Amino acid sequence: MDIISIMAGMDKLDIGLVMTGFMLFMVIIGMRVAFAAGISGFLGLVWIFTAKLGFEKGFIVAVKMAGTIPHSKVSSLALSLIPAFILIGFLAYHTGLTKALFEAAKRWVGWLPGGMGVATVFSAAGFAAVSGASLATSAVFAKIAVPEMLKLGYDKKFAAGVVAASGTLASLIPPSAILVIYAIIVEQDVGALLMAGFLPGITSALIYAGLVIFLAMSNKNFGPPVTGYTWKERFASIPETLPVFSVIAIIIICIYGGIGTPTEAGSLGVFIIFMMAVYKGMKLGDFKKVLIETSKLTVMIFSIIWGVLIYVRFLGFAELPDAFSSWIVTIDQSPMITLLAILCVYAILGMFMDAIGMLLLTLPIAYPAVMALNGGESVAAADSAFGLSGPACAIWFGIIVVKMAELCLITPPIGLNCFVVASVRPECSVQDVYRGTTPFFIADVITIAVLIAVPSIVLWLPKMVGLL
Amino acid sequence: MSSDSKIKTDQSTLSKVDQFFLKIESFMSFLGGVVIFLIVMISTVNILGRWLFSMPVNGYIDWIEQFMAFFAFLGIAYTQREGGHIRMDMLVSKLKGRFFYVTELFTTTIILFLTLVLIYGSSLHFLRAYNIGDTSLDIDLPTWPAKLVIPVALTFLALRLIIQIWAYIRAIKNNDPDPIAVPRVENAAQAVESDNKSYGVK
Repeated sequence: MDIISIMAGMDKLDIGLVMTGFMLFMVIIGMRVAFAAGISGFLGLVWIFTAKLGFEKGFIVAVKMAGTIPHSKVSSLALSLIPAFILIGFLAYHTGLTKALFEAAKRWVGWLPGGMGVATVFSAAGFAAVSGASLATSAVFAKIAVPEMLKLGYDKKFAAGVVAASGTLASLIPPSAILVIYAIIVEQDVGALLMAGFLPGITSALIYAGLVIFLAMSNKNFGPPVTGYTWKERFASIPETLPVFSVIAIIIICIYGGIGTPTEAGSLGVFIIFMMAVYKGMKLGDFKKVLIETSKLTVMIFSIIWGVLIYVRFLGFAELPDAFSSWIVTIDQSPMITLLAILCVYAILGMFMDAIGMLLLTLPIAYPAVMALNGGESVAAADSAFGLSGPACAIWFGIIVVKMAELCLITPPIGLNCFVVASVRPECSVQDVYRGTTPFFIADVITIAVLIAVPSIVLWLPKMVGLL
Repeated sequence: MSSDSKIKTDQSTLSKVDQFFLKIESFMSFLGGVVIFLIVMISTVNILGRWLFSMPVNGYIDWIEQFMAFFAFLGIAYTQREGGHIRMDMLVSKLKGRFFYVTELFTTTIILFLTLVLIYGSSLHFLRAYNIGDTSLDIDLPTWPAKLVIPVALTFLALRLIIQIWAYIRAIKNNDPDPIAVPRVENAAQAVESDNKSYGVK
């Protein structure tokens, strides 16, 4: 038998596995993720339809099918939130927010033990939330916060570590583009995910701050608190930071109060940040650059979305997700252990891959499996394995996976945030930064464990709003 | 724009072609950005209009959905030129010299094949909409312009990929350590430094 007839005679599940292997190979040899997914999906479609209809017809069907996906999948209202959030991020650099936030945080919480560290955590969390960019937040705060901490006699490893770790607070507190992407891929309510991210995000920031205070109290040689600010000075620092609070507040209030769709809320956020940037003297040239960069990042994200959706269309024909889900529920162990195993795979993948690419490539298979573990898409809380209804489980899993992806930004071998801080601060080696982030890494692992054990931290707010 | 770019240029024909297309590509990307800003403004007017004066924008959803293909695709060639599409560079960043260029040439050629397939498939999608006069649901906007954008933008991507293939073949031939017209591989720290520049972080 020649190879063509062997290929034509293959089971569709095997075709699914072969093409998934092909895609992974392409990703590993460095093909851009969007196209690796797209080509694997397309070739898979050609293979499956050739087996059914012969090559000539099968090829044309596959071309037509793949050709409609970029337009039809991209033109959906929910996705229009992504560029709005990205635009907020790029405009935020021109608003002078970073310095204003750091100054305000210093005045308000500097008096605490390890005050400068606590101030860094809160100001970086605020900027990370609005800009949505972990790496850039770490880079900016490595420039403004680390020198101040070093001046006060803080250990350089700690100073670098707190900056690298605080950058990771970007993806849970709204606005968060990655939660929007998750919501769209798993077909859940975008508003519910944005609301669900808020409490875990704030909790993470508070845990970081608590950790800094604990470290400062248990170590006598820690840097001193910053005192001596009057209440007048404290209040004077507030107005410049208002755009951050108003953007977060607008998104939450709009969704919470049902005033507008998430896209409209995001757009109002852009409007505020844009006005602030203009007020702060953003030049036309800067604005043009902001638009080009926003367009570039948007195209990058949308390309992965349509690329992966071509692959997902093929997976559907190969019935691979169904097969994986039915296999995973037959494993003879507690569903919670299986879930933890899946999360461990994410932790390993996250060490090598960007969060968006990782989520988009894995969710088409992992998400149905997790839902099946819980008892199915429409299971009631009482009958489910994790004590959560189908939609609640989808949202809970999303928040945990996104938090895991962020955690990977401070783990070796390529914890990017650590590289960023080391590149900005020549006095710190990457190893120094890794050492500095260790306590925060442990804190994050505990946070994730708590989120797994107490899903109501994630689900309380969406339930309050009636989105669940 | 080219002065900010990480990509090397010189006086060769290849570099001239690269820079000629860069002008078109960065203009298209800029247009994509303008469309994003327009959408954001329409959404703001829509929510404020509805909330304050009970006067939402007529056909709001139709407008947004028709605009989306523009910003999702106009910048695709520019993003490819700048190396902006994400990838896992663990392995390629370890490859040296010709091994590296051969790998890049291989993956770029496959991307070109996919792009050509999608140009054909998306043109058929456009032609169907054009021939039957397909319109949007609410205010009957024609859907063909948004569908036409995709094969057009992908054609520019294909041209960009051909330039990159040309550049990789040249680099293989000359065993050039610092080739022109293609993004350099950077380690994490360098990549972040150049990103910071693009964010405006000094």
